[in-house]
Amino acid sequence: MHKKTDCSYLPLGNCYVPGSEVGGQWMETTKKEVVTPTYNGWSDLKKNIRRNWQIYIFLIPALLYFTIFHYIPMYGVQIAFKNFIATDGIWGSPLIGFDHFTRFFDSYYFWRLLKNTLILSGYSLLLFPLPIILALSLHEVKNKYFKKWAQTLTYAPHFISVVVVVGMIVIFLDPSTGLINRIIVAMGGEPIAFLTSPSWFSHIFTWSGVWQTLGWGSIIYLAALAGVNPELHEAAKVDGATRFQRIIHINIPSILPTIIVLFILNIGSFMSVGFEKVLLMQNDLNASSSDVIQTFVYQTGLLEGQYSFAAAIGLFDSAINIALLIVFNYVARKTSDNSLW
Amino acid sequence: MSKSGMSDKTFEILNNTFLTIILIIVVYPLIFVLSASISDPQAVSSGKMWLWPVDITFKGYEKVFADSSIWRGYGNTILYTIVGTAVHLFVLLPCAYALSRKELKGKKIILWFILFTMLFNGGLIPTYLVVKSLGMLDTMWAIVIPGVVGAWSILVARAFFQQSIPDQLVEASKIDGASDFYIFMRIVLPLSIPIIAVMALFHAVNLWNQYFNALIYLSDRDMYPLQLILREILVVNQMQLNDPSGGGAESLVEQVKTAGLIKYSVIIVSSLPLLIVYPFIQRFFVQGVLIGSIKE
Amino acid sequence: MKKMRIKVLFLFMTLSLVLVACNKDEETGVDREAALDNLNTENMPIVKEQIELDIFSGKSATTADDWNDVLLLNEYEKMTNIDITWNQVPADGLEEKRNLALASGDLPDVFYAANIPVSDIQKYGAQGTFIPLNDLIEEYAPNIAKVLDENPEIKKGLTFPDGNIYSIPTVYSPEFPSLLIGAKGWINGEWLEKLGMDNPETTEEFYEYLKAVKETDLNGNGENDEIPLSSVAQMSRIIHWISGAFGVQNKGQLHTLIDEDLKTGDLRFFPTSDSYKSMLEYLNRLYDEELIEQNIYSLEVDQHLANAAEERYGAVQFYNPNELYGEDVGNQFIPGNALEGPDGTKMYTGITSPLRSLGNFVITKVNENPEASLRWIDYFWSDEGSKMFFMGIEGVTYEETAEGPKLLEEITDNPDGLTLTQALAEYIINPGGNHPVMVTDDYFTGSENAPADKEAVGVIEPYLIEEVWPSFTYTAEENEQIIILQTDLSKYVAEMQAAFITGEKDFSEWDSYVEQIEKMKLDEYMEIQKNAYERYKGN
Repeated sequence: MHKKTDCSYLPLGNCYVPGSEVGGQWMETTKKEVVTPTYNGWSDLKKNIRRNWQIYIFLIPALLYFTIFHYIPMYGVQIAFKNFIATDGIWGSPLIGFDHFTRFFDSYYFWRLLKNTLILSGYSLLLFPLPIILALSLHEVKNKYFKKWAQTLTYAPHFISVVVVVGMIVIFLDPSTGLINRIIVAMGGEPIAFLTSPSWFSHIFTWSGVWQTLGWGSIIYLAALAGVNPELHEAAKVDGATRFQRIIHINIPSILPTIIVLFILNIGSFMSVGFEKVLLMQNDLNASSSDVIQTFVYQTGLLEGQYSFAAAIGLFDSAINIALLIVFNYVARKTSDNSLW
Repeated sequence: MSKSGMSDKTFEILNNTFLTIILIIVVYPLIFVLSASISDPQAVSSGKMWLWPVDITFKGYEKVFADSSIWRGYGNTILYTIVGTAVHLFVLLPCAYALSRKELKGKKIILWFILFTMLFNGGLIPTYLVVKSLGMLDTMWAIVIPGVVGAWSILVARAFFQQSIPDQLVEASKIDGASDFYIFMRIVLPLSIPIIAVMALFHAVNLWNQYFNALIYLSDRDMYPLQLILREILVVNQMQLNDPSGGGAESLVEQVKTAGLIKYSVIIVSSLPLLIVYPFIQRFFVQGVLIGSIKE
Repeated sequence: MKKMRIKVLFLFMTLSLVLVACNKDEETGVDREAALDNLNTENMPIVKEQIELDIFSGKSATTADDWNDVLLLNEYEKMTNIDITWNQVPADGLEEKRNLALASGDLPDVFYAANIPVSDIQKYGAQGTFIPLNDLIEEYAPNIAKVLDENPEIKKGLTFPDGNIYSIPTVYSPEFPSLLIGAKGWINGEWLEKLGMDNPETTEEFYEYLKAVKETDLNGNGENDEIPLSSVAQMSRIIHWISGAFGVQNKGQLHTLIDEDLKTGDLRFFPTSDSYKSMLEYLNRLYDEELIEQNIYSLEVDQHLANAAEERYGAVQFYNPNELYGEDVGNQFIPGNALEGPDGTKMYTGITSPLRSLGNFVITKVNENPEASLRWIDYFWSDEGSKMFFMGIEGVTYEETAEGPKLLEEITDNPDGLTLTQALAEYIINPGGNHPVMVTDDYFTGSENAPADKEAVGVIEPYLIEEVWPSFTYTAEENEQIIILQTDLSKYVAEMQAAFITGEKDFSEWDSYVEQIEKMKLDEYMEIQKNAYERYKGN
């Protein structure tokens, strides 16, 4: 037992725990150097496939799906560089190069759209740790019933549709009848026009999002925490570690790989802001901070059927996402040894 | 071990306080929804109802229960969710398992092949054309198949298999003459209940809440899932508000009133099944689900 | 190995693309002669042998779930011998689905009530997806042709720069101003009496009234909760009521940025004009003194209705108060006047063109029976057909009385407690929805035909602007440019309007606002509009 405590402060991936039972308990995650025959070239691959053909069969449904529903439609990306004419189809439409991109970059609102999009996305990303904190906290609860109820209740808001959430926000934040403003007034303050003030928009948008997804987002971390080796805790207890210390030194390092990979995956969709909610919350007064790329696409692209333009902006978003993904993955790999690739 | 840490007692108090505060913040709007569902809609929108029900009425529920299209939608959603989740697992689990096996060559390429789909997509029209050319329009498959699996779930499930299914076990079985099919079905799956539960939950909830595929691919109203029916009732269309070609006032008031009446009761009715299911799934979180990288 | 995989993948992709592509454009040779042989050019049925039409239709939430069960359409099928497959799309997904159908080439025979924007009609008309209707209307649609002949401005607005008409529009009869005006201004008459004031005639009197409302506990609940002026959908409705007093937007509501300079008669970009500025100053004064509902920019319809039910409003700009707020509260309201502005201008500009919207009935190139399709809709433009469309079937939904047709009591006062709209849904597909017909006051059952509304129109009518412009039509090239320019300009104007009214921006910044607009390629924008205007005038 005591020997193993040595590794309790190390990242879990480097810790070897022998003799765990299959299934019910945590298993080691280090890559042992298993002696596998090395395959060289095409003929070896064929040999490998012949020997393990069933494993390859396992891949077929998923690969077929990705090919048909993701790779085949990718030819559609080209309309970003074309002037899409429905009757000529995607292939037949005339090529116009980067016109749609320049149109977007030249748009009077380009910088505002970019700024707002980055603010809203960045804000949500900043609050990325909240579900982790909730999960860590829930994990420590001893009372079974409290734990169960707390989990179910925090997860419930996920089921409320955006339309109703926005409706509730409007009711709660109404300048005269809303609960929040009545509290403010009761405490002697001036009512705040939350919904029409540009400076409040990002806060309302983001925190209502947190309210809705906090519990839902914590599920995956709770599941990860359930996998932390209890022996590590036992050993740390013997060493006199407090619960808080064990969270910091055992629980967090144990789920760190999960956190990092999820974080990087999140980065991969950085530029997509929940545009329906923005649209529902937007008005002429807060537009200066609520106008995002997606609403712009909606207004100029989809409603007017300008698919080429919308595709160009989509491509721009993807480019930013990929750039961010590469950067963050690099940083993660350099600093923590954990990364997506 | 440093001495600076707080005592367990303090920690417990702080932790419970923290959770209680979170719970109050989360629960208040939930109680609001519950109370609003049995309150007079006017009291709700004028801000009179703020915690407990005001002018209790069950008209909202009556209306929901009397509306045949809501129930049809409910039935459709349940069907799509069950079938969709089953297909999801069928596609996901074998693939993730295969990617966790060291015998598989070209893992990295396959993982990139999958990851790449997260970053680029061809857009609505080509995807629509594919769904159409496969004859899926106006069938359940248009809801179930597009989006059946994502890179995210594959990475999660694969990491689980890597961590939880020991190589020795698989190799030993192979020496005993078991085929990969047999090992997967009889040994791997029974050991993987936690990941199956989590993945099924995630996908089922997504299916339950989604409406966009239905909007695009279904035109037969009898096949609409619940969320699409609800949107029709709840979203007071801007077009209708500003440009009602005749009878604007009537249809507007009617829609606003219906929406106001059932808005909250419908949330309760429509999310109840998944709220009830959740505690049962929670039981399976006994074993960890960690996410790994696409490094081999 | 990498290369190999990519190659295989590429091959697979191209193969499937070819498959997808092949699937797409199979145009069937249209047997024109057989179709014409089958057609009756006059009277019913429209076709000798039954034909089928596949129609894509926008569906308003208030109409029946399945139009195949609607009495009107079933009766009409028997009359015409045309069997219609309705592909009904709820308003929520209308844009997406319509665009997908158009962009993917998955075309129906007809787009009905699909609210196709003018730019798309132009685009798909030029591409040949929609067929030109000019000749067909002359030959097969006598009722529509008659309306176009009698109302040249409708025909002008409907004709594209290439000389073609591609769509049958929604028309509000020019003799039905109540509908053309839509929502109207209403003043709380009881409160006027209590205050001993006359119904305001000028913007100053209006201000005085609102001020008095603000300061008096008129609903007698002991709270100072009266809201002098309110509406829904942000500020635009209130502006409909006010703008005439400042001579702004004096060519009707379809043009949100341009009108006519009253002094010179030239086309004008009005959001930079002085009169527009004085209107904003006036509205800013109202808003600043809390005479306009303070949360008007975030107000939801249900909040508005709740406030109205508590008798908090002194004046509203919205639909018939009886319908909206119920009889008790609604009865307090009397029609508001067209207001006279500070410089003596008095007009009412909150009116739309009779050519309400263009794109509600187009025939696509895959339609094998364009003549029959056109005849199908043309009947509803006749007097008889119009009655059937709006009132249903005699003896089932209405009866003829001395004062014309009347809906039966079981419809207007339904024994099962259904509202008028619900009771009608089983029989007809109106109200609600952009139907490609002419709406006249003879048979229209909506609230715009209610006595209160007629009275309101009587008050406003003398001051209604004479000429109301329909939407202009543009060439393909103009179209592409104007969408970009107009999106930017409209957004900026709307945001600045809100900022000036609420005081977020001070009027000292007016000049920089004007400058900014000029920077946003205003001259290019006006150039295009000028060309379109010239064409409209010359058509």
